[in-house]
Amino acid sequence: MMGIHFFRLQIAILFLAFLPGFLPGQQVYLTNNGTIRFKSDAPLELIQAASQELRGAISPNERTFAFTVPMSSFQGFNSPLQREHFNENYMESAKYPDATFIGRIIEDIDLRQPGTYTIRAKGMLTVHGITQERIIKSLVRVENGKCTVTSSFTVLLADHAITIPKVVHQKIAEEIEVEVEGVLNLQSK
Amino acid sequence: MRIPAVIGFLGIFLLGAGGALSAQKPFFRAHSFPEEYRHVRVNKMLQASSNYIWLGTSDGLFRFDGQAAIPVAIPQRESPAVVTALFEDQRKQLWVGLESGEIFILDRSGILRPWDPEEGHPAAAITAFGEDLEGQLWIATYGEGLYCWKKNRLYNFSVEDGMGGNEIYDMGVDASGQVWCGTDRGLSRVRWDGDKKSIQPFGLLDGLPDEIVRVILADRQCGIWVGMHDGGLCRINPVTNQVDFSIPDWDQGVVSALACFHQREIWIGTESNGLFRFDIQAKVLEPLALNTSGRSANKIYALQRDSEGGIWVAGNTLGFFSANRQFEFVLNSPGDIQAVMAGPDDEVWVGAQNGLYLIPPFQDTFLAVFPNRTLNVISLFQDPFHNLWIGTFGEGVYIYRHLDGKLRHIAEGGQLQNGSILSMDGAGQKIWLATLGGVMEFTLHGDPLEGGTISSRSYDQESGLGTNYIYRVMVDSKGRTWFCTDGKGLSVLDGETITTYSQADTIPLKAVYSIAEDKMGQIWFSTPDQGLFKFDGKTFSTVSLKQGIRNLSIGGIATTADGQLLMVHSSGIDLLNPQTGHLIYFDQEVGIPDAEPNLNTLAADAKGNIWIGLPNRLVRYTALGRHLRIHPETRLEQVSVLLKPVDWWARNVFKYNENFLVFDYVGIWLTDPETVTYRYRLEGLDHDWIYVNDRRATYSAVPPGRYTFRVSSTENNAYLDEPVISYSFRILPPLWMRPWFLLLAGGVFTALFVGLMKNRDNRIKRIEKLKQETIQSQYEALKSQINPHFLFNSFNTLVAFIEENPKLAVKYVEKLSDFYRVILAYREKERISLEEELQLVADFAYLLKQRFGENFSLTINVETNSVYVVPLALQMLVENAVKHNVVSRTKPLHVRIERVENDYLLIANNLQPKLTAEPSTGFGLSGIVNRYALLTDRPVVVGQNDGEFQVRLPLLK
Repeated sequence: MMGIHFFRLQIAILFLAFLPGFLPGQQVYLTNNGTIRFKSDAPLELIQAASQELRGAISPNERTFAFTVPMSSFQGFNSPLQREHFNENYMESAKYPDATFIGRIIEDIDLRQPGTYTIRAKGMLTVHGITQERIIKSLVRVENGKCTVTSSFTVLLADHAITIPKVVHQKIAEEIEVEVEGVLNLQSK
Repeated sequence: MRIPAVIGFLGIFLLGAGGALSAQKPFFRAHSFPEEYRHVRVNKMLQASSNYIWLGTSDGLFRFDGQAAIPVAIPQRESPAVVTALFEDQRKQLWVGLESGEIFILDRSGILRPWDPEEGHPAAAITAFGEDLEGQLWIATYGEGLYCWKKNRLYNFSVEDGMGGNEIYDMGVDASGQVWCGTDRGLSRVRWDGDKKSIQPFGLLDGLPDEIVRVILADRQCGIWVGMHDGGLCRINPVTNQVDFSIPDWDQGVVSALACFHQREIWIGTESNGLFRFDIQAKVLEPLALNTSGRSANKIYALQRDSEGGIWVAGNTLGFFSANRQFEFVLNSPGDIQAVMAGPDDEVWVGAQNGLYLIPPFQDTFLAVFPNRTLNVISLFQDPFHNLWIGTFGEGVYIYRHLDGKLRHIAEGGQLQNGSILSMDGAGQKIWLATLGGVMEFTLHGDPLEGGTISSRSYDQESGLGTNYIYRVMVDSKGRTWFCTDGKGLSVLDGETITTYSQADTIPLKAVYSIAEDKMGQIWFSTPDQGLFKFDGKTFSTVSLKQGIRNLSIGGIATTADGQLLMVHSSGIDLLNPQTGHLIYFDQEVGIPDAEPNLNTLAADAKGNIWIGLPNRLVRYTALGRHLRIHPETRLEQVSVLLKPVDWWARNVFKYNENFLVFDYVGIWLTDPETVTYRYRLEGLDHDWIYVNDRRATYSAVPPGRYTFRVSSTENNAYLDEPVISYSFRILPPLWMRPWFLLLAGGVFTALFVGLMKNRDNRIKRIEKLKQETIQSQYEALKSQINPHFLFNSFNTLVAFIEENPKLAVKYVEKLSDFYRVILAYREKERISLEEELQLVADFAYLLKQRFGENFSLTINVETNSVYVVPLALQMLVENAVKHNVVSRTKPLHVRIERVENDYLLIANNLQPKLTAEPSTGFGLSGIVNRYALLTDRPVVVGQNDGEFQVRLPLLK
């Protein structure tokens, strides 16, 4: 099903290499087992799935970040057939294996300082091979070298050219709710 | 910048004055905040379509209705909300941006609601809002760049996307929908190119005088004006995207606010040098002092133009200011002004009792033209050679050229019959001089100061004028010359014919003071005490107190550039729209206290402005155009029911007891809030309008019904075409008054009544039937007991006893007698106790026993606790048993009486019917059944069971 979102990111390290400012020797928050959940609440059916394979990196120096999740890692759904449709028909996971979100935090805050922050991440969200600029509001808690990120947002199927056959319109929401939660550990590169 | 040619020979004054010009001043009115907010600083001002002035301050949002600034609560806050941006979108929603980055929208009930997109609100100060042609909202921040709310998603434009900076000082949207953002690194022009962001820089290389752009004014009429940090002010042509104008050599520092009056002038607020305005056509910059209690604002935070021709200013003084841009002043006149004339080069000449004065363009000083002479100047005129004609009281007329000071005097005598010139006018080579001795017509043959000769002709009483005293002479657009006479009405010279109007329809005309021609060629004239008259060439009509004129003693009238008639009287200035008759009053609110004008001390200049001389000041009226608001904006502010505000736009049906209504309304007229009065009526209750001064209407105990509350406001006590605000609502009748309820209740009542009657009928019938049955049963019982058969049997038994056992015979007779006595005693009763009935049965059984001996037996096994039976029922059943069954030695008859199921009495006998049935009336058993049916719902059960005949009688309580 649907639209899903996002990110799973694979190979965060790979992205890090491309992000400006991610220089060797700097400290970076990393995770490779974050959780991402989505929910399609359509009139006729509620579909939920989640992946534990969200990978992410945040550079507190540059306030840049990258997250990725493999589409095929989503589990849940109401039936195995549904999961198959999700990967084969809608997300075309073979062609577009990952969803990613890469960008920069708008707020000028120091994520090395312990505390709880509401931040807005401005970046490029790529799902189903289509990239959209998005601002995603997140709650970040920094303590003991860990950075816990939680956020929720919506993804419009239409924004990412995910087309749904008319027959299943009543079963799949146009607007997919996504929740992300990850604990990133501070590491030196 | 090129020196405008219009300055011409007057350039000398400008040079003399240097760069710091000081011209006619608007009159600034000071407004204050409530005491507890006295020191708030105004960051932004906005006039919304509601006509309210909204003030965004260092301590929240305020709504100003002309009289009071009311704080509007900003929810969910502990610290003061610093409002840094205000905007009204096309849907008339007010947006409020805070320094914290939070954004609020004002809902229809006047409550601020947070705007909370999924993306979150900015965390940097909101500096400006804008809306493009697609209705997309743009939000500029100081620190996070620009945001755009597009299809319910928030997008960000920052330095990384190509913005000149993330610190945006101001933003404006031009007529093509392009968004201009001012940053520390020039302007960024932003728009959407489909779904792609398009950002183009505009900076020094494009001709911008300074890179730091502080203020942007994107006005549909005025173009895009940019105020800079050091570079002053420039204008960008949005079509060519080029700087097409800038103020050279700006040295007034940071520009902090801008406002624009049409294409006419730009008002400029600076951060350290106060307020300026810039005349776009003349390209002259002049400072405007903003004083309050001795302190002058040198830091201007906000400027806002309003819909009535006013301008609003806030700076680093307490409160804020407003001025009506239509009226400006040159104060401190050196004498009583008796004549005014505007020259072609923006200079103004003023005649006073003590001489002639000149006010050079863009200056606010009266310069004495002949400092060494005393001239009592009472009229002024300029001839086609640009010579000034100075009419004096008693000293004839002077012809004067200011450029070289050349002067020619025409004194009384000779060509001039009288030396007191009250008025002059002319056309072409002809000049008319109204004197206290008739009218002179001068014809110029060449420039009179260059040897040209003057020929003259006089018109006086003898030539057809009603009088020699003429207050005013005017040449109209058709070449006719009009004379305002003292006491003899109005005369007109058309060709060689003088016509005198001494009556306007039926009103006799005496003195006529002043005259003007409107744009439609109609002649208007004023009188000392009869108000204003209009003459369209055929008929007269009058505009008087009834039509709204405040003062009948009108000293002068003139036609403004936009075709209105301006009249001056001692109450101030009235503007009359000659087509609609609508009047607007101006007085001390715009700076005109106690006008007390002299006669005809007003004149139009080349631009159509009217200059008005008052005893102590010169007033310039600028016609800003017909698009200005002419009525107060009437608004229903609140509807309260039972003293609680209701969402009146959403709710218009009230319950019967919600009948105490309060309507709060306001007529917002910023020009002069004090003059606004109201009339309202509640249609459905009030028969006529109610005229009041206050802003509240209260209705109590409004009966159920449909109503419309209407209110309108006026600033001139006339209700001609004032818009009316209305609110329709309904008060429902109480439940018990509603038709469906009444119908239902009526139905139920009728049904109940009918039911009761029926019930009563039934009961009566039943009682009657019971009586009948009882009588019948008594009759039957008696009949059966005196049945000859019974008697015969009884007597036979008795005969046997008498011989064999006389004692028993006596007892038998006693029992028989008892039996009959009891029957007689009980026959009238409806019911008797079981005990009594059993006694009777026992007596009866004794008699039977004597007759049948052992062949008959009766067993009674009954508790008799206070239960009742129908009288004689048991006796009759026992008698029936004997009557219908064989009683013999071989077939003895057993009758038993028992109580069963607690409330039934069972009477049973073994069934051995006689072969020949006894004759029977058939009444016995059925009579019992019928009587029971009248007394109880429980039936009498008759049946055969196990060879027994059984009757169950219900026991009665």
